[in-house]
Amino acid sequence: MPRSLSLLLISLLVTAIPQAQAFDFDKALKKVEGASGVDAGSTDKKAADSKTTAPATDTKPANSTSLQQTDSTDSRQAFNWKSPSKAEEIQLGREITGNLLGAAPLVKDEALQKYVNQVGRWVASQSKRSDLPWHFGVIESEDLNAFAAPGGYVIITKGLYRKLENEAQLAGVLGHEIGHVEKKHHLKVLQKSQMLNMGAQLLGEKFGKDNQTIDKAIGSGAEVLARGLDKDAEFEADRIGLALATRAGYDPYGLPEVLQILGQVGKNDNSVALLFKTHPSPDDRLAKLGDAVGNRLDNIKDEKTLENRFYKLKN
Amino acid sequence: MNIPKTTLLLALLLLPMISMAAEMGTALKDDNIRAEPYADAKMTGKFTRGDKLEILSKQGAWLKIKTSSNTGWVRLLSVKRGSSTGSGNTKGVLDVASGRAGTGQVVATTGVRGLSEEELKGAKFNEAEVKTLEGYAQSAAQGQQSASSGGLKAIKFASLPEGAAN
Repeated sequence: MPRSLSLLLISLLVTAIPQAQAFDFDKALKKVEGASGVDAGSTDKKAADSKTTAPATDTKPANSTSLQQTDSTDSRQAFNWKSPSKAEEIQLGREITGNLLGAAPLVKDEALQKYVNQVGRWVASQSKRSDLPWHFGVIESEDLNAFAAPGGYVIITKGLYRKLENEAQLAGVLGHEIGHVEKKHHLKVLQKSQMLNMGAQLLGEKFGKDNQTIDKAIGSGAEVLARGLDKDAEFEADRIGLALATRAGYDPYGLPEVLQILGQVGKNDNSVALLFKTHPSPDDRLAKLGDAVGNRLDNIKDEKTLENRFYKLKN
Repeated sequence: MNIPKTTLLLALLLLPMISMAAEMGTALKDDNIRAEPYADAKMTGKFTRGDKLEILSKQGAWLKIKTSSNTGWVRLLSVKRGSSTGSGNTKGVLDVASGRAGTGQVVATTGVRGLSEEELKGAKFNEAEVKTLEGYAQSAAQGQQSASSGGLKAIKFASLPEGAAN
């Protein structure tokens, strides 16, 4: 890049952006901090816009025009961390998922992957973010774990899949991850740390275009998935997972059954090291779920486990 | 002479143990024990978080359990199955019970990359794998079709509020 052009860019950034940032920064930071807890599904502004149950992103039409607009805005302003668009959210999730797949590739079994996508897509259709382009995958790892990334990316390890006995349990696990996406749990963590970064950089007067790239926000690799969320976010995802599987017509006890299975694995077993580090204990999760469920499942009828068509791993 | 005798004796001792091995459990929270598997059935007692119990049978969302002082029905979600120590020693019993003994319970750690924190941090973006993942995507209509063929019907079910311990 010619030097004069970069100088021009920098001066433009220095003059224009800090003001814009300063204007909103405190509020934005509070917003993100407040939102990292339970049930803070949408930002203040969006909540004010509409009190409907519709997801925040539904307020924007998802047609190609709006995507293009977002894209062209992106190229000028990098990434809108204060309130990322749906396209930006997906872009972020794709990046994180690509990193995760760099650590453990997909199981090369197309029938398995399609099956998991069919189940996952049906469960996701019961969520408030049915509009997202959902992606589900099983990866080559004997760890017991599952991951969610912003924008509708859900990954389960082969090790965990192997422990499952029926489709209702799979639906429960995928439902939990879909819950993280619906509530934007990881997105909020990334937003918060990015806001703090930007704040620090503003204070240090080292603000530059480079600081807003996605890479920096994600950190290295799929680190954000190893960091974990706060306990309440996990309990919330359990409640959503159970509710989504129930809505989809499955036996609601699929997810609790998986928690029972996880509770039987020795705490020092390597295959659950990361899962247990990033999640409350299965016992606590079961107890919390029990408290939330109470008698709400007493009238659920005709629910299905579908163990007959549950896809069996080839190895 | 002595060895076959001992073996026989052991076998005799073990046989009933295996067939009668009751599933053990632990109370995950304080809850009421009821005479029948219904929310409005008569209360016959209570159990306290951490109480050891024996699981006798299951009916829908209810477990019939036996504590040191009581027998009756409690909600499924109030009980952790197996021992509470998390030692992993009860795994075998449960696996036998669910017919899953020997299926992939031995976790092979050699030659399989794990997903430790370090490995996730060091991971490099893999575009080809993301493309493959995207290739597996199913539309909402395809998801619905798969659900219908399995006899699944969507039902209304309200979101679960954060529960208050009872």
